[in-house]
Amino acid sequence: MSNSVGSRSKVNISLTVNGEPKTLSVYPMERLLDVLRLDLGLTGAKEGCGEGECGSCSVLMDGMLVNSCLVPVLQSAGSNIVTIEGLQAGETLHALQQAFLDCGGAQCGICTPGMILAASHLLSAIPEPTSEEIREGLAGNLCRCTGYSQIVEAVAEAARRRMTP
Amino acid sequence: MRSNPSDYELAAPGNLQAIVSLIGSEPGKWLPIAGGTDVMVQYAAGKLPALKLLNIWNLPELRRIEVSADEIRIGAGSTYTDLRKNSIVENEFPLLASAARWTGGIANQNRGTIGGNIVNASPAADSLPALLVYDADLILVSVRGERRVTYASFHTGYKKTLLAQDELVKAVCLPRRFSEYFAYARKVGARKAQAIAKVCIAAAGRVVNGSAEDVRIALGSVAPVPLRLTGTEKTVNGKIISADLLRLARQTAAADIRPIDDIRSTARYRTAVAGNLVVEFLTRLNAEQASGDFREAKDVLTKWNALSRDEAIKTILPCCGSRAWAHGMASHRPLTDEAALLAASSDVWRSLTTSDWVEAFQSHPRIGESRAEQPPPAQSVEWSTQEQRAIADADAAVKKALADANREYERRFNRIFIVCAGGKSAGEILEILQRRLNNNADTELQEAAEQQRQITELRLRKWLQG
Repeated sequence: MSNSVGSRSKVNISLTVNGEPKTLSVYPMERLLDVLRLDLGLTGAKEGCGEGECGSCSVLMDGMLVNSCLVPVLQSAGSNIVTIEGLQAGETLHALQQAFLDCGGAQCGICTPGMILAASHLLSAIPEPTSEEIREGLAGNLCRCTGYSQIVEAVAEAARRRMTP
Repeated sequence: MRSNPSDYELAAPGNLQAIVSLIGSEPGKWLPIAGGTDVMVQYAAGKLPALKLLNIWNLPELRRIEVSADEIRIGAGSTYTDLRKNSIVENEFPLLASAARWTGGIANQNRGTIGGNIVNASPAADSLPALLVYDADLILVSVRGERRVTYASFHTGYKKTLLAQDELVKAVCLPRRFSEYFAYARKVGARKAQAIAKVCIAAAGRVVNGSAEDVRIALGSVAPVPLRLTGTEKTVNGKIISADLLRLARQTAAADIRPIDDIRSTARYRTAVAGNLVVEFLTRLNAEQASGDFREAKDVLTKWNALSRDEAIKTILPCCGSRAWAHGMASHRPLTDEAALLAASSDVWRSLTTSDWVEAFQSHPRIGESRAEQPPPAQSVEWSTQEQRAIADADAAVKKALADANREYERRFNRIFIVCAGGKSAGEILEILQRRLNNNADTELQEAAEQQRQITELRLRKWLQG
């Protein structure tokens, strides 16, 4: 990733979003969140606080959970981005999405995409997390429908289903 | 008011040398951005004055952790997640590992960097007290070359640092000499994750021969900069951790800090919590040491119980200085634990004659001097020096007053003044001495004997540590 110095104009960047290669013309300091929502129409990532406190804009960048509101889009050049839209395989929901539905882990839905991506990041590192580990893994994602217990239960349920297919 | 991205430049030269020369070509004009966890917050709020940003995220030269025999060198671009995953940090620098775990949530740990935390210079930053405790150095780089500065000197005021306008923090160096220290960290905030601390502490220390040694205490959110509590450390080092010392440490901590009222807390609350944290640290330090010492104490007593009678007397004599006491202790063998040893010591001591007591008194150097009436064993001399350390450090006027009062005491009672000096300041000892000058002969003999009994207890505890 490098660009010429002294340019305030748009630059072309290439990246992969949900498995599809994209080339975009962007201002380097645009937020990844805005590019996903406005340029690519991927509105699953939400803007909650806009300052990295709430986690509702969470996406995976090269497998790492990030708050997309804090990522200048230039820093995502060359990376592999996964949003909530990229999680399901065709018409089949991802195990986490299904578990959130079954356990009542989603209510108003604002926090849900971020919660599920944070949970997916957690399960890729710890396939069978304890309840304490789930709470730590989701601690950067706020829910204001007070649904934390169901959310933690949904993640535990998804882990169980994945372990016993 | 949101920022307009078309107003901002973001240069990405892609390697450290090019970045450093760009900053050097226009000092103060370029703002480096790594994980964006601070810069992007200001940007989104329309409060970012710098219109020229410089991308340093994921730069290989800044994002590596190098380990040598003496130190660990953490690239400034290392994230909190990088720190959490590093086994040397986890095992040898647990205060930094805890701070990394407590910073933000996982997404911010994946992006926030140690260098960013340092340069952002928030007095509430989680990782900064740990760097103070561990005597960190910083490597700063510019077109002029590299320089190494102590981290303790880096913050010069609220959000002010030593960093020159053309400089970048390249690495943080931690000496690998704290792995045996007891470490204590705690963050007091509204919530476990994603909360900025009302007060946070990082502290480490050791207990050697029963006394606190090289205690290091640093707090966040209690002053314009992350703060080392040097006054409190001085108060505690070299002392036995007692209830009196904890009280004193709490007072000194309150004097060391400069907290304010703000949106997160009040100065009054912060002062109370800072005192609680310091006291909790010292209490745990003491307890931790005691449990480690338990096995050693068993070993010492097992060996002593097996000695010949003469050897057993000779070995325990430095703890008290009275031969009759040492004989009595040898007769009480076998003694299997600390409680039995201390109980036997008190019983034997109280059963002795006045001349036995005086023999023990005379084995001590006059307080404030180093030579005893009778030449004592080397171990006794070493212990006396430790016990009277506060007096050696006292100022000349107090020392002179002590010497005068000592002579007065000897004229009046015909023997040297005995006080259990461990943990007391020279001023406190002087006060006690002046009060006891008013005692009648009998009261004073009992008081001196009680002081000697306490000295013997402290020495027996040290003796048990081998």
